[in-house]
Amino acid sequence: MLIKLLNGGEEVTIQSMFRSFINKLCFNNLSCGFHTSASLNEVQLLTRLRVVDNSEIGKRAMAEGKPPKVICVYNKKRIGYIGDRVMVAIKGQKKKGILVGLKQTQKVKVPKFDSNNIVLIDDNGTPLGTRIHVPIPTILRTILKERTHAKGADYTKLLAIATKFV
Amino acid sequence: MALAIRKSTFSVLATARCIVPREFRSLSSLPETNEDVAQDVAKRSTGRRIRFQNPALEYRHVYPEFLPDPNPKWRNTLREKMERADMLKRRSQIDIPEFYVGSILAVVISDPHAQGKTNRFVGICIERKGCGLRAEFTLRNVVDHQGVEIRYDLYDPTIQSIQIIRLEKRLDDKLFYLRDALPEYSTFSFDMDPEILPEGTPVPVNPVQVKLKPKPWLERWERQELKGVANIEEHLKENDRVRRELRKTPWEKYDLMKQYRKTIPAEDQNEIWGEVHNQLNQLKLSRKKMFKKRPVTTPKTQLA
Amino acid sequence: MATSNMKILCSTLSRLRVDYIPIRQNAFYKPPKYRPPHWFVPKERVMSEDFLTQENRDFIEEIIQDKRNSQIALESPLAHADQQTIEWNPFTRRVGLIARKIGNYPLWSKEGKKYQTTLLQVVDNHVIKYVPPEQFNPMKTTKVQWKEKKTLGCLLVGSETVDPSTVTKEYSGIFNSVGMLPKRHLFRFMVSPHAALPTGTPLFATHFRVGDHIDVRAKTMDRGFQGVMKRWGFSGMPASHGVTKTHRRPGNIGGGGEKARVWPGTKMPGHMGNRWRTLRGVKILRINTKYNILWTLGVAIPGETGAVCYLYDTILPLKKLKTAPPFPTHPASDDLPLEYYDESIHPFEGETILFDEV
Repeated sequence: MLIKLLNGGEEVTIQSMFRSFINKLCFNNLSCGFHTSASLNEVQLLTRLRVVDNSEIGKRAMAEGKPPKVICVYNKKRIGYIGDRVMVAIKGQKKKGILVGLKQTQKVKVPKFDSNNIVLIDDNGTPLGTRIHVPIPTILRTILKERTHAKGADYTKLLAIATKFV
Repeated sequence: MALAIRKSTFSVLATARCIVPREFRSLSSLPETNEDVAQDVAKRSTGRRIRFQNPALEYRHVYPEFLPDPNPKWRNTLREKMERADMLKRRSQIDIPEFYVGSILAVVISDPHAQGKTNRFVGICIERKGCGLRAEFTLRNVVDHQGVEIRYDLYDPTIQSIQIIRLEKRLDDKLFYLRDALPEYSTFSFDMDPEILPEGTPVPVNPVQVKLKPKPWLERWERQELKGVANIEEHLKENDRVRRELRKTPWEKYDLMKQYRKTIPAEDQNEIWGEVHNQLNQLKLSRKKMFKKRPVTTPKTQLA
Repeated sequence: MATSNMKILCSTLSRLRVDYIPIRQNAFYKPPKYRPPHWFVPKERVMSEDFLTQENRDFIEEIIQDKRNSQIALESPLAHADQQTIEWNPFTRRVGLIARKIGNYPLWSKEGKKYQTTLLQVVDNHVIKYVPPEQFNPMKTTKVQWKEKKTLGCLLVGSETVDPSTVTKEYSGIFNSVGMLPKRHLFRFMVSPHAALPTGTPLFATHFRVGDHIDVRAKTMDRGFQGVMKRWGFSGMPASHGVTKTHRRPGNIGGGGEKARVWPGTKMPGHMGNRWRTLRGVKILRINTKYNILWTLGVAIPGETGAVCYLYDTILPLKKLKTAPPFPTHPASDDLPLEYYDESIHPFEGETILFDEV
């Protein structure tokens, strides 16, 4: 079998083969290979997000099937909640974005979405795109107004390009 | 869109109608013979009101949140009484209609964050849970190709109105599988017209079976014995089927103690319904009067 | 010098007296630590078959019923007493209440915010006895220095009347001596002398006001013998990576060298729960005067549903009473409104909350 594989030109090391062999032998490992507790769906380091604005880079990244990855969440807990600022790695670049919809279970009257949505912004809080094509939770109005300070970035520009609030 | 699918699959599962009443029996420990008798009566005489002479039989489905949590650690008669009184007080302010999992609702809440300070959402009820003032329900809709779910407290004083758009039941108690289904099954437009059922008809059961998207799924739907999913076998591998067989618990339907612990005994239910029965009926009657008295205005034809 | 000589002489002479009994001096002798107060008597009675005839049984039942009726008909002594002009001041200590925790449910604020609340029912509270500060002689303990001994009196309060035949004679005697029926719970509150109440005064939930803060003392849930992970929140050890037999154990419990021993107070496995805890500064959001129920903010009140708690005015300096509460207590009256709501709480019979556009 080993010779056959090597002849086929596959780069299968003996070690990884041995591991897969052990996995097949060990029946317990089969049933314990997955999580049995409900997932929290938290936005944390290396979570894949969905860009929902029409910025050029975001559109291309989503079309190529390479959605952005979180590389930093700008809060103390390092777990992103609604309205939090994140840094993402998108098409080999670092961009900042704001979480505008989460998969996680939300509080009462706050919508829960089927995907983790993000709108890309620059350092001043100006969105890179001109339109958001999914609904935005209304609670973002209050959250983003609170986050905006007189001399810092103005995040409320994001609300102006939203098309629909739920 | 959703309507078209419903019609196409209607013939496939016409048989499902007769399965459903049997399903709801497991909700309560009331003797089954009672219900059979009631059904016989219903056959003889038409009309829905006569069918439910025992208020417990009618109300335990219509107002499930009036029954307390069956956990004996949390039971207290006085607290339950106060809770029911508060629920009735809230119900006298706003009409909380009869609805089930699978009904389509429109909820208007006063929202301090929204622009007009009100927020309207339309969606299908995929879950009802909680007892007493903690009762919650979840609405799901697909807006602009994005699935959205919102959870509401049933007795929240910021809810301005709950409107029934389509009153119906589905084949399952919880419709979480809509998250993994094709989006057209949970797409409802926000300007749907409410469908009014004629007086006295039983709540229809919608026998639509949804089609799931291919794996990965959020849960292992194949293990949950769902009736409202059509194409679950297509996506399964041999291993999934084997494990489903291993995980089956066919003995649980014979576990009478387990059922007893999950339900409120019939004697307790009679007491509870006897207490709230009159007030609920009065509320219903006064609502009906208001409904008839309301000013009749012809809706303007919309050109757009 | 002369006086000390005189003392020695006196002591030697006194030993020669006829009625001299030597008292052994022992530096290690201590008086018994545990001296329970006089109302602390066994309560549970061993029930035995009395072989009574049905007639006698009925007769006893009748007498108990009579007593109960007379107890119910008992008027509050406060009604007749002329209005005392003793003013409340911030240093006064009022009597507390004995309540039962009956569950939790949410209330909504006028801003539409949901608050979880705990319901406390004040059941059938009556003042049993007042012990003035001079007579009150508390138990001696080595740990607590009883500083307020001279200034505070002791007020016995009972709750939940029980059948006198189910308790011991001694316990029943405490109540009988003041003309009351025995209560299931008897508790003492330290009160200022001018806050004392006459025997038989009923106490209601209106003793506290809506918006005030209280301290709640109760026994926590009994969890039995627990390991360190549950009892103290230790992290345990990994499930794999070569760890064997030590997944939920504490690990090291002490160092070596100079201090080669386990230090006192080390967190170890043991009995968890079933001890007295006080939750301070709990806000009252709503009061029902018919059933004497208090709705308190939060769900952290110790004990399970049905646990008995003791309620006091809070001692937290920022949450203390600022204006005069009902003093010494709220008298019984029939013309009270059914419900009191805090101004922040939305009553359920109120209109739907609407927000104004700014």
